[in-house]
Amino acid sequence: MFHYVLSRLLWLLPTLLAMALVTFLVMHATPGSPLDPVSEGANPLSPEAQKNLAKYYGLDRPLYEQFAIFVSKAVRGDFGYSFVYKTRTVQEIIAETFPISLLLGSMALVLAIVGGLTLGILAAVYQNRTWDYVSVSLATVGVAVPNFVLAVFLIILFSFVVPLFPTGGWDSPRNWVLPTVALALAPMGIIARFTRASMLEVIRADYTLTARAKGLGEGPVIFKHALKNAFIPVVTLLGPMFAAVGTGSFFVEAIFRVPGMGRFFVLSMTGRDYPMIMAVVLTYGAFLAVMNLVVDLLYGVFDPRIRY
Amino acid sequence: MASSIRASDTSVGRELGPSRLDGLGGPHPRSDAKGVSAARSSSLWRDGVRRLRRNRLAVAGGVVVVLLCLIAIFADFLAPLPYTKTNFSRLNEAPTRAYPLGTDQLGRDLLSRMIYGARVSMLVGLGAQVIVVIIGVPIGALSGYVGGRTDLVLTRFVDVMYAFPRLLFVILVMSMLGAGLTNIFIAIGLTGWVGIARQTRAQVLAIKEKEFVDGARALGAGFGRVLGRHVMPNALTPIIVAVTFGIPEAIFTEAALSFIGVGINPPTPSWGQMVGEGQQYIRSYWHLCVFPSIAIAVTMLSFVFFGDGVRDALDPKLK
Amino acid sequence: MRTPRISDSQMDLLAARLAAVGVGRRDFLKVAAGLATLGAAGFNARPAAAAPNLAPGEKLARDQHVRLGGGGWWQNDPSSHDYNKDLYCSGVPILWAGLMKFNSDFQPVPYVATKVVSNADGSVWTFTIRKDSKWSDGGPCTARDFEWSWKRQMDPASKNPYSSYFYDIKGAEPFNKGKVPDASQVGVVAKDDWTLEVTLEGPRGYFPVLSAYLAALPAHRASVEKHGDKWTEAANIVCNGPFVLETWEHNKVMVLRKNKHFFGAKDIVLEKATIPIVPVQSGALPYENNELDISPLQPGDLRRMRDHPKTKAQVFRYPFPGTWYLIPQVTKPPFDNVKVRRAVGHAIDRESVVKVADGFAIPAHSMIPTGFPGAVDDKKVRDIQRFDPKAAMAMLKGTPFEGGRNWPRITLTMREEGLGSKPLAEAVQAVLLEHLNMKTELEVLEQRVFRAGLWKNDYQFVWIRWFMDYPDPHNEYFDTFYGKKTEGRRQAWVNDAFDKELEAGRDTRDTKKRLVNYAKAEEIMQTDGGYVPVAWVSRWCAAKPSVRGLEKNKLGETVVEGNIYVDMLPHVYMVEKA
Repeated sequence: MFHYVLSRLLWLLPTLLAMALVTFLVMHATPGSPLDPVSEGANPLSPEAQKNLAKYYGLDRPLYEQFAIFVSKAVRGDFGYSFVYKTRTVQEIIAETFPISLLLGSMALVLAIVGGLTLGILAAVYQNRTWDYVSVSLATVGVAVPNFVLAVFLIILFSFVVPLFPTGGWDSPRNWVLPTVALALAPMGIIARFTRASMLEVIRADYTLTARAKGLGEGPVIFKHALKNAFIPVVTLLGPMFAAVGTGSFFVEAIFRVPGMGRFFVLSMTGRDYPMIMAVVLTYGAFLAVMNLVVDLLYGVFDPRIRY
Repeated sequence: MASSIRASDTSVGRELGPSRLDGLGGPHPRSDAKGVSAARSSSLWRDGVRRLRRNRLAVAGGVVVVLLCLIAIFADFLAPLPYTKTNFSRLNEAPTRAYPLGTDQLGRDLLSRMIYGARVSMLVGLGAQVIVVIIGVPIGALSGYVGGRTDLVLTRFVDVMYAFPRLLFVILVMSMLGAGLTNIFIAIGLTGWVGIARQTRAQVLAIKEKEFVDGARALGAGFGRVLGRHVMPNALTPIIVAVTFGIPEAIFTEAALSFIGVGINPPTPSWGQMVGEGQQYIRSYWHLCVFPSIAIAVTMLSFVFFGDGVRDALDPKLK
Repeated sequence: MRTPRISDSQMDLLAARLAAVGVGRRDFLKVAAGLATLGAAGFNARPAAAAPNLAPGEKLARDQHVRLGGGGWWQNDPSSHDYNKDLYCSGVPILWAGLMKFNSDFQPVPYVATKVVSNADGSVWTFTIRKDSKWSDGGPCTARDFEWSWKRQMDPASKNPYSSYFYDIKGAEPFNKGKVPDASQVGVVAKDDWTLEVTLEGPRGYFPVLSAYLAALPAHRASVEKHGDKWTEAANIVCNGPFVLETWEHNKVMVLRKNKHFFGAKDIVLEKATIPIVPVQSGALPYENNELDISPLQPGDLRRMRDHPKTKAQVFRYPFPGTWYLIPQVTKPPFDNVKVRRAVGHAIDRESVVKVADGFAIPAHSMIPTGFPGAVDDKKVRDIQRFDPKAAMAMLKGTPFEGGRNWPRITLTMREEGLGSKPLAEAVQAVLLEHLNMKTELEVLEQRVFRAGLWKNDYQFVWIRWFMDYPDPHNEYFDTFYGKKTEGRRQAWVNDAFDKELEAGRDTRDTKKRLVNYAKAEEIMQTDGGYVPVAWVSRWCAAKPSVRGLEKNKLGETVVEGNIYVDMLPHVYMVEKA
């Protein structure tokens, strides 16, 4: 197992390097440069001012040199100053915002798992009866509607119609509720349906029959035997799901004013903030790889047939 | 019961990627690579159709899908008004008899725009999937069949692409290309072929081992023939399934892009664009956003149920 | 003292200075209007002290705390508050106090400087600084601080892309371009602690205007030297304005508190201001949920808030003059034919088109909006832009597109932005299609990409929104359309007669005659189809009833925080909710 983990982690490095290269190339192929002035009324910068700025950002060097410099600095954790937030370094900004996105994402994932499992089990156990339809409907809403639409509906429902929560911000746990729900609905729906189908299969399986034949009550049958087996396929979902949710969603963070990393996805793109774009992509990539590894290991925990 | 399954095999189970479609159908005994039985093609299809017909949800989904395609094709005849016809005296109106779904910011009939939107959204879905298949299937097939060095290199390449945050990369590519319908196909296609590549490779690997391939080879069939005639038809199923799930995924992505501002340009109506632009008006003019959202939701679910049904139907392992 | 005459060549320079730092058209127009209407006291007019105007039975709120934001105000975290080094830091200007400031009529008035005098021709200006001018740590804010700050801005090492703002100062340009090794030759000298003498390259009657703008705000030397780039963080910052930065949680919120060392502190009622960072995607939700007290509005929310009885009275329009217009590129067919360009003007039903902006646009028939100096309202010009589909089609007679046929592929290019710009463009497309059978494709480009192509005059047909700089037609026409500019021209159109009128109109002496020149220029431009005006910008804001003290300008319009006028908060006070 140790070898497995080690080899996976080692593969991370060339993967990240390749990701950096692809991103770097696409970024520089995009029209519009960070040298253009920010303000709309401004005339274009004089050629001299542009040259100075290019030199300051290191953009006047040939591409391969820029990339090499980037990599050599990045391995030491230095991604440089953000082009947009000129007095702050990219690593500083990410260090501040990533934990918030992570917190939001983790809460959303926990909610999604708990909610999804519950709904899925209920649906499976009471198949084709009321609970089944209720839970399937709930699951469907989360999955079928884009989350920037859901977010606004949640705000309307729970800030205006029933004034329970503020419309956004991140000061106290009260602020955490709506964004977490908005982010959790889609994964919850996925998990619920997955669990339902998985449980249905398992409930009919031989070993469940055996357990029942042995005289075990319904409770232990469901929770001890069925669930553990049903959970296995669900676990495969969790890695990429956490990676997607844990790094923050631009939409949810923008609408709820959450000061997380997700917002920088789009902002850095439109601002042509090269250092930021690279850092965000690599952070995400690394996080995804780690989560996949964790999930694969978890898979081994749940499924005794798997050996590393 | 199978003996120890190597962990690396299970990574194939995440093929369809972290998409919102995972689990809508549930786990599948074929989520691991092995286990495609050697049924002959013709009876596979016949059995499949029969099983499909019995799955009511899938049939419902399929009917809706067909309906959507018809709407898309015959939009010109179905739409009561041209989608560019403006009416400056009836802006942002809620549904009335004259305008059953209301009007938009320029007084255009929402119903007509939704009907044409079906066409654009279908195009986005299909166009993106075409690119996905064109890129993903050859890479996966090549990787699986040829094996060795090529396989290693290609697999690593696929892994790198898989590590990219999907939406972020689509936005990156769209910034590079600029807005527009074909650019959206390209952007979504370029970022979505990974799943299919992996699936195809897995299928090809599995089938490669089977006797009938050896048999064909023994009879003197060449590389191309074997690949084309024997391997591919069996590998086709997951591709069909992936494409079916990929279409609504593409429509969703297009909505996200429009929300950010790098999607399809007006006046072309697409559901995604209508949702993206209508979102800011939700409190004032709810119909601008709600109707296209419903359309997207219904489309997504139909494709998913249908896709599920196809997958179940074509799986020879199920009784 | 007599204010020295500001000649037109000086006005050109002022225009160039402010344009170089990106002062939008809107703001500059206001500034020049202010200059044109300076009273006898010239630059030394005392700003009226505003006392809270309470209605009978009203009381000042115990908690003098206002929350502002949203609708585009501070939608992203500022990169710093160091206006001295980075004019576009998007920070909070009210932390600082310049030698002068702009009042609600966009006139420069004394602020940290109590007196502003110049020599006979206006080439040397002396600012007398008030002796109670202090930094927020209690130390005195002297002329030496201003000298150091302005020299810092000129210093090539600070890589300030907008340092050309101060090129009027003698020796500033060579120093900034690195031709001179140090700042000793730069004409800014603190003669003593309370007197700042500025020697200029020549007569510059407008120089005090420059000293009132954000680009002239000071920086605190000790803090800069101690903390470097991080000196504007809440823990480090020392400022001289009415408010200090008490808290700055990045990406979240900024909290300001009244600066008790500020010389005008006793006139300020407000104690605290909270500015959360609110992305535009939130819309008016925070305001409606009482999480904000004052917030600009976006098109999605205006109608609803104006119609709702509870919020009706809270909504008001504020001046933000700008113009949406079309540029039919004269170098690209079919717009190389003047008849086609003129036909476009007749084909646009402006009354209908502006409806789609839901209150954020009004029909325009010329560049300068009604109510501003230089607004052109004569029948001839109105006729050129009169909506008349028959006349539009008639214009096409004799062209290859007669009857609206044979149009080539036409792309209407615009930049990605909100506030009604896209629906307006689509509405224009719709009317052109309907009345001229001219089909156009809309191309929405990202801001940077759009501008790159704009300067190259690459686009065939452009939809562009322009803000006014200052209320003087000179800047409006000259900076945007003057044909002899070497760089920064937004369109390929050039017309000698037009240019001549602009040059003739530069004589500030006879105001009446000038306006005639500019009116003629507008007529020429429109007759020649140099541009097609469509709509004027209209902006809206909402403020809770408990918020008072928002200043009004001479036209009676309420003025809020902007780019030139940044003096909103010191006048605001909160009243107890009824």
